[in-house]
Amino acid sequence: MRKTFSDTMLEVGQTDPKLVVLVGDIGHFALQPFAKACPGRYYNIGICEPTIVSIAAGLAHAGMYPVAHTIAPFIVERSFEQIKLDFGYQGLGGTLISVGSAFDYSGLGCSHHCYDDIALLKSIPGTQIVYPAMPKELNLLFKETYTNGSLTYFRLPANKHDVDIPDNQIRFGKAIRVKPGKDVTIVAAGPQLKTAMESLPALKAAGIDVEVIYPHTIKPFDYALITKSVNKTRKCLVVEEHTKFGGVGDEVMRAVQGIKDTKIAFINIPDCFIHGYGQYHEHCESLGLTKENVANEVKKLCI
Amino acid sequence: MADREDAFSRFEEITINSDLRKKIVDMITSAGEGHIPSSFSIVDIITTLYEYYLKFDSQNPNWEERDYFILSKGHGCAAFYVVLAKHGFISQKDLDEYGRFNSILGGHPDRTKVPGVEASTGSLGHGLPYAVGIALGQKIQGKHNKVYVLVGDGECHEGTVWESALVAQNLRLANLCCIVDFNGSAAQILSHPNIAKQWEAFGWNVLETDGHNEDALKEAFACFSSNNNSKPTVIIAHTVKGKGVSFMETHGPWHHKIPNQEEYQAVMRELNQ
Repeated sequence: MRKTFSDTMLEVGQTDPKLVVLVGDIGHFALQPFAKACPGRYYNIGICEPTIVSIAAGLAHAGMYPVAHTIAPFIVERSFEQIKLDFGYQGLGGTLISVGSAFDYSGLGCSHHCYDDIALLKSIPGTQIVYPAMPKELNLLFKETYTNGSLTYFRLPANKHDVDIPDNQIRFGKAIRVKPGKDVTIVAAGPQLKTAMESLPALKAAGIDVEVIYPHTIKPFDYALITKSVNKTRKCLVVEEHTKFGGVGDEVMRAVQGIKDTKIAFINIPDCFIHGYGQYHEHCESLGLTKENVANEVKKLCI
Repeated sequence: MADREDAFSRFEEITINSDLRKKIVDMITSAGEGHIPSSFSIVDIITTLYEYYLKFDSQNPNWEERDYFILSKGHGCAAFYVVLAKHGFISQKDLDEYGRFNSILGGHPDRTKVPGVEASTGSLGHGLPYAVGIALGQKIQGKHNKVYVLVGDGECHEGTVWESALVAQNLRLANLCCIVDFNGSAAQILSHPNIAKQWEAFGWNVLETDGHNEDALKEAFACFSSNNNSKPTVIIAHTVKGKGVSFMETHGPWHHKIPNQEEYQAVMRELNQ
């Protein structure tokens, strides 16, 4: 994903002289092709994330298309007021691109984990949130959004979902029905689409026909596709690497409210801090973000 | 401090902008909301900037060739509003409606409502980094528009001020001028041992001036305008909070106080002298 981020900046920067990239000492070496091809439009500003966000807003005020990039907890949690006031309230457009959301920096502990970023940014009026978990999604959705006048947050995960989605299906604001089915709907965000897909053989063996929906755009959320699916299945499981508060699960509940006799379940991060270190997959196992647990939760919905 | 005051003594002592101060008092008294002493502290700075140095077109506030002014210490906005009205960005009616529910003018300046306001401020520490972004945007586009930002000395407690100061000199933003309203507010809480040296250590051109003397201010702004090195410039403007009304001056109870009828008359008597 980082390579695609760099390649996308290079691709867009060579044709759009208004693209300016600011980083907080993250991705500096990866972005050198852009820096060399677009002199004067790449800045490794320093380790001062709130200032980077305000500078990006000032650049937008001056007519540029700013991209600010660093680690999720620092660009979102630490800089939240700058995002709210300097971009949000003032209605300025720009792009924030993070790495290290959820527990991608698994071994670095709480300071480098960030599993409330979607909730925080969702709360600011007018923001857009994109969570691409394949390189081409990042490339296509960035090109679709970076000039549209809104503040867009791209949450880049360290892991991919590895599902091949045709380019013409990747449209900002439109969720993707990855697999049709009639018994249960799974809504899986980010790399957890892979977990969801890996759960399917066991569920098929159990006679459960699952429909899988993948929302790469979290705000604006594609309620209609999920409403349509759950109207049919009346059972839904949401799988995401985010706190239970304010993530994809909340949006799915909005989508299904009013649908009678509907059961809904969630696999996400509960109301507690993550204390473990170790590897990404160990955190997933600890939180139940596994194909086995997805299958179990789906089966429970079918009881 | 005595030495600094001596340094400004070559300028003739003049009292300026009594009329604008009266408008400020009228607005704030009528609305029952606002910061009179903070506005009196900066009104002469903003007036001089708009009168002599800032390039603008009040009929076309987004004119591409304009210079930018950002009031980062947004609570002094009444001073900004009266200057905007003086130059035709907004009307007397706008001033009269200050603070009302549907007014374009409230307790902090709002870019989304007020012609001529470049940044919505209020939370301290936002204006300077925002100004750095605008100044960088001008530089990237090969433009020479100047960017002025006015911060408070208390605001200079904020970490983002110093983050931005470091970044601005590193980016060689010679088109950026920060004015510090050095009225001693910080010293009531957390004093800057030597604020001029502090800015100097961050790599800025440092000028000090009397923030209530038009000639002194003009000299400082002219010095910035003719600067030919690559550093950003800071003007430490020595000011008096509440300047112009004896009983409001310095750091008493008047920071956010609204005059009653008797006090209003006393204010006007002093400003009419």
